[in-house]
Amino acid sequence: MKRLRALTLAAAAVVSTCCVPAAFAADVEISYWMWDGKQAPVYQQCAEKFQATNPGIKISIKQDGWENYWTTLTTAFVSGNAPDVFVNHLSRFPEFLGNGVMEDLTDRIDADKVDMKAYLPGLAETWNKDGRQWGLPKNWDTIAFVYNKQMVADAGISEDTLRTLTWNPQDGGTLQKVLAKLTLDQNGKRGDEPGFDKSKVKVYGLAQNPADGYGQSEWSHYAASAGFQYVDKPWGSKYLYDDPILAQTLTWLRDLALKDGYAVSQEQAGQLQAVALFSAGKAAIVPDGSWMIGSYRDSTSFKFGFAPVAQGPKGRRSMFNGLADSIWSGSKHKDEAWKWVRYLGSQECQSIVGNSGVVFPARPEATELARKAHEAKGLDVSAFIMLAKPETTFPFPITDHGEEIANILKTAVNKVLLNQGDPASLLKDANSAVNALF
Amino acid sequence: MTTTMIPRRAKVRLPDWAVGYLFILPALVGFVLFYLVPTVRALEVSLTDWNLLRAPKFVALANYDKLLADPTFWNSMWLSLCYVAYNIPVQTALGLLLAVLSDRLARNVSIRALIIAPYLISNVVAALLWLLMLDPLLGLTNDWLQALGLSRHGFLSSPGEALISVAGISTWRHTGLTALLFYAGLQSIPRDLYEAARLEGCSEFSMFRHITFPLLRPVTTFVIVTSIIGSFQVFDVIAVGTHGGPAESTRVVLWYIYELAFKFNKMGYASAASMVLFTVLILVTLVQMRVLRADHSDLD
Amino acid sequence: MMPGNLKAGAILGYAVLALFIFVSLLPLWVALKTAISYPQDIFQSTTRLLPPRATLGNFQRAAGLTSDIVLTSVNASPINFVLALRNSLIYTSLVVTGQLFFSSMAAYAFARMRFPGKDFLFYAILASTMIPAIVLFIPNFILIKELGWLNTFQGMVAPSFFMTPFAVFFMRQFFISSPRELEEAARLEGCSPFQIFWKIALPLQRGPLATLAILLSINAWNEFFWPFLTGRDESVRVIAVALSDFLSQTGAGTPDWSGLMAAVIMSIIPIVIVLAVFGRQIVESLQTTGMK
Repeated sequence: MKRLRALTLAAAAVVSTCCVPAAFAADVEISYWMWDGKQAPVYQQCAEKFQATNPGIKISIKQDGWENYWTTLTTAFVSGNAPDVFVNHLSRFPEFLGNGVMEDLTDRIDADKVDMKAYLPGLAETWNKDGRQWGLPKNWDTIAFVYNKQMVADAGISEDTLRTLTWNPQDGGTLQKVLAKLTLDQNGKRGDEPGFDKSKVKVYGLAQNPADGYGQSEWSHYAASAGFQYVDKPWGSKYLYDDPILAQTLTWLRDLALKDGYAVSQEQAGQLQAVALFSAGKAAIVPDGSWMIGSYRDSTSFKFGFAPVAQGPKGRRSMFNGLADSIWSGSKHKDEAWKWVRYLGSQECQSIVGNSGVVFPARPEATELARKAHEAKGLDVSAFIMLAKPETTFPFPITDHGEEIANILKTAVNKVLLNQGDPASLLKDANSAVNALF
Repeated sequence: MTTTMIPRRAKVRLPDWAVGYLFILPALVGFVLFYLVPTVRALEVSLTDWNLLRAPKFVALANYDKLLADPTFWNSMWLSLCYVAYNIPVQTALGLLLAVLSDRLARNVSIRALIIAPYLISNVVAALLWLLMLDPLLGLTNDWLQALGLSRHGFLSSPGEALISVAGISTWRHTGLTALLFYAGLQSIPRDLYEAARLEGCSEFSMFRHITFPLLRPVTTFVIVTSIIGSFQVFDVIAVGTHGGPAESTRVVLWYIYELAFKFNKMGYASAASMVLFTVLILVTLVQMRVLRADHSDLD
Repeated sequence: MMPGNLKAGAILGYAVLALFIFVSLLPLWVALKTAISYPQDIFQSTTRLLPPRATLGNFQRAAGLTSDIVLTSVNASPINFVLALRNSLIYTSLVVTGQLFFSSMAAYAFARMRFPGKDFLFYAILASTMIPAIVLFIPNFILIKELGWLNTFQGMVAPSFFMTPFAVFFMRQFFISSPRELEEAARLEGCSPFQIFWKIALPLQRGPLATLAILLSINAWNEFFWPFLTGRDESVRVIAVALSDFLSQTGAGTPDWSGLMAAVIMSIIPIVIVLAVFGRQIVESLQTTGMK
């Protein structure tokens, strides 16, 4: 009797383990992390489409704000439960590469014959080092001027003028003239009228985010348009912050606020970001990045437009930041992860993203869809797109010791703009400190 | 027939020291597991070069050597010291004043509740609110200052004012707490002492000086010691409000340690800095405890 | 005593109290005002005390309900604040109960008993407040992870359950300043140490205990970094972490100020209710000195 029972149990066990129909096999779950809140629902749509054509794979998207994202990601790398796929940023590329947390995608790209030329030129290249590709391009951003249409009209400035601004480090070009005109003091006098009181400004011509060491939206476009370069070469080890062009540029920006009164000073800018100052009506023109388009729409109740950054001695320049999707080197489902990453870079998914208008996807056709989406809502975003070419963009500096360098440079730039020392020597000292790290 | 007397259970009299240990046992377990062991581990890490993502590399005392020569570290200690000087005296004195006022003058529950209201919200939210209110161009503080004929200020965005502003925010949040602690302490002072003093014709000030203050000593010690320790470790407000700036004017020691550990990925160096901070705090506390004679109550 | 002097002093005293309460409440009013403002109006009216127009849409949005106010720059997936409130209640009750009980026991021993190493152990426990918490987080995190306690209540509660140095120090000071006579009497009557502690010494400290309970509760309620590391799953996520997740939903843009303030107001309400309901009791106990 006991033997029969034992046999029955054994038989049941065998049956239950061998003949499991395919549908009961556990789905492979691919976790995907990102930091941009408004992108999460859009990528959820991509995930649904992907899951329909890839049964057996489930995508689980997690979004964590910029501040927490990197801490959470690093902790996850350390504790071994990092996401299979994550959105990557150029500033972390060297560190992640050095620590071996990313998966080399080159062989898979070759095997599947993924067309790396299908993306906007420059994007795939920045994620490539020594012939190995570490991320698939996802989206890009550039900088443009945001302007208050009413204020501009009241000052008698045509929108065409705004689209053809010039700038130079010595006298600020036509940009400075326009800013002077847009600045209003409490007595209603404009910046270029006699009797203008710069200590009683009511509306400033220009405001920007509190400047940091790289000045992506705050000053990089001015300096680069005059010929400034951050490092001698990508992955280089020699920073060029002692270039006199940079000192001139920052001096101009400082004096624009402290001497002329046409711009909000670094100290006055506070911590609330340019969009707050803009929507409060404190400034007429603000340089900002394309990722902020949604924020401007949400926080302002008046009409605003976008104009390309000013033309400097060497032309127009904007920082070109391309994000990528990378695979964790410790992922247990790399094949499935790769399928998802390929899908993310595909025309289908990037079109979904483009149509939503939340960012500019890496594929040109998808970018055009985004432009149309904005146009349908009454916003002309061509100012951002027209600069997305290799001739008019420069990348975020990619070198080792990213965070420490960011810190040193930020302090130096802060001090310059706060008028806490001679710009040339502050920058030179910072540059030496930075180069000494290598 | 058994007797109706219920035999008393033989009382096992444990020796005093065993009782003592039994009482502290749970706390000791928590202490060892979650404070002592991690601290020892941190000490180990401080002897290595570790960036969290790769295996640690043993470097003996190299981190400590580097630390002694690191101007940023000593500057951050100095900034922390200044911060404590801006924060603690005002917070403690004001807290004491409010406690005495609530005890002697306005014994209303609502008043005490309102005093502690700021403590209800977290440091992070407090920092965000004050960020909004102290904004140079958009904040209401500056507009009110201007309306009163005073000048506008950069507060958290001004290198000269940022540290004091951070201290102000902390003081705003913690004064109510301090007042509550002092208030609890005031309740343990026997009322008849005050009655006797009033009959003798003492003024409020005199009663405070000769009765309240001395008898509050253990509580005062507690408040000062804990607030100084807490103050040295200010972090949230800086993380939300200034990020160590502007121009490094709020780069206090715990923020520097955080940067080292989580941004520059120098876990070993950060641990070494923590050990040094730890030692400094121990010394500071020992001195205080000795000076304030925390172990005795003047009632004895 | 001169009546004039007294009156002047009293008026000054009231003035100080009033001023302090005004400064205390102003930011809380700003939070409320921002919570009922339309997002577009926030920065245009920061200097006014009343919003130009009011709405409850932010509260709806924060609670995950459909709202008139839809922000395109924000992740629309709702944060379940009600669940977070429940989790905070569980977390806070567990932590505070453990801390109060075990810490008072230890504090009593430090204040009244003699045993070898007493001073050393007390200072060691005190010293543990001085080690920067950041440095303790990683080893503790690894321990909790190895125990398989990540994203569980026991994992979140463990490090602070058995004691907190603050509570031990606090109660020890109060036990010290408490007169010994009653305890001596009980000892002579043959009561066990635990009975003396539980029935005599502890009830004498009802006031300080109540104060301590309030403080520990507020601390636990606002505790952020540890629950952030160990309790990210919705089933255990506490309010502080939920608020941070809410704040981070705007990702790269500006914070959703009005939604955040609405969420903050919602998270303070439980504490305010508890204080309002139990406040009277707590206050009454604060006023006894036990010298009956």
